[in-house]
Amino acid sequence: MILPYVLKLLCLSLASFFLVHTAFALATLIFSPTAIRLSERMRPRVAARFLFALRLLPLALSVFVVLGLCVPSYLWFEPEEMTEQVGLVGMAAALLGATICIIAILRVLHGIAGSVRYGRQFQRAGREIQVPGDPSPILVLEDQTPFMVLAGVVRPRVVVSSGVMQALSAEQLEVALRHERAHRIFRDNFRRLLLLLPPDVLPLWRGFAGLERSWAKFTEWAADDRATEGDSGRALALAAAIVRLARMGAAPRLSPLATALVRADDNLAARVDRLLLSEPPREQALGGASWGGATLVIAGSLATVMLGSGSVFSSVHALLEHLIR
Amino acid sequence: MMRFLHNHPAEPDQTVRQCALGTLETELMEILWVQGESNVRDVVQRLDRPLAYTTVMTTLDRLFKKGLLARYKSERAFVYSPRLSRPGWERKRAEGLVAGFLAGPHPSRELLISCLLDAVGQHDQVLLDELERKVRLKRKELSGRGQP
Repeated sequence: MILPYVLKLLCLSLASFFLVHTAFALATLIFSPTAIRLSERMRPRVAARFLFALRLLPLALSVFVVLGLCVPSYLWFEPEEMTEQVGLVGMAAALLGATICIIAILRVLHGIAGSVRYGRQFQRAGREIQVPGDPSPILVLEDQTPFMVLAGVVRPRVVVSSGVMQALSAEQLEVALRHERAHRIFRDNFRRLLLLLPPDVLPLWRGFAGLERSWAKFTEWAADDRATEGDSGRALALAAAIVRLARMGAAPRLSPLATALVRADDNLAARVDRLLLSEPPREQALGGASWGGATLVIAGSLATVMLGSGSVFSSVHALLEHLIR
Repeated sequence: MMRFLHNHPAEPDQTVRQCALGTLETELMEILWVQGESNVRDVVQRLDRPLAYTTVMTTLDRLFKKGLLARYKSERAFVYSPRLSRPGWERKRAEGLVAGFLAGPHPSRELLISCLLDAVGQHDQVLLDELERKVRLKRKELSGRGQP
């Protein structure tokens, strides 16, 4: 199939994205059991960050390779007047690349739409209550369902059912609200949104369920640590609140962008046991330079090295020529 | 024309929502799910109990009219095959049941949801008892140390 210059660039970008992403994603998948084992030895917040970064790594690397290498090499070395045939393999890879990207975009849009819809419903049906120690009011829904979530991405709100308000003691409710506020401080709902973004390894095969489950577990533990701050009384109250809510039944499944105090797939035993330790865990400040800064420095250095040597781009262009034929 | 209309099979979805299967109908469906395409004689031979050829023929004809079987004529006899796989039938039946509940009045909706919640709740009952026991122990330990 003969394609014009810009369409050929698009086709090549999608094809190379699919191939590079599949390779990185498979490598990450192979490494993920080890990463999960490693994360068990880390503090929950560090473990959550580590697994989150690992989950986004294939996407980040693929975007970097495509936008930083493939596109510039094509623009640099491909003569504009040249018409070239795109082979079957290249077209198939481009189609698969487009498919996984479209699925990912639809997933994100669906997540956002669900979050907005629930947010509006909560706003309409809920009654605002100001709680001490929290500048933003919580929303109380007149419902007996065991329901306590942090809903929303941009301005997350704590939403509680009146059933939960009645079932928990004042101390349990306070620490449970502290837990939800911790999720808000850690921007966990925004991270949930980002986790919807990485494309599937192959169309309709997501492949990272274990990693995402572990990430969710550590985010809960990190929020528990922040809520209890090493105080045995608070830890006991939170453990009691979790058991109480779990006993009230399963919470309704909501948007993937909402964080519930008790989730259906929670490992309750591990979580409660952890809170009942003789020395309850406390949140510790993350030491050293921030991960975001470190990533930027590494990416910047790589970009500088690559830009300094034209041979990298010519090699990439040669590879793309193989792909296109 | 009337006969044609009468003989026209229903859509499987419609059948699932509208009717349950009798014992013999279920037996015949089971045979066809296992054996695949069969004529009346094959089905009679596979039955665990002796039944008249005409009884089986009438029941298969009824299943065809309900839309659960497809058939074609081969050497003057009908050959029947299921229109839905067994998991497909079970899924449709469950969907029909839930849809029926959800379309009903508010209390029946709540009933369905509370049944589902109870099932989930009971699943973890032993674990929750154990966790509650641990919480009580910890509370005792803390109050012994003079903490709330």
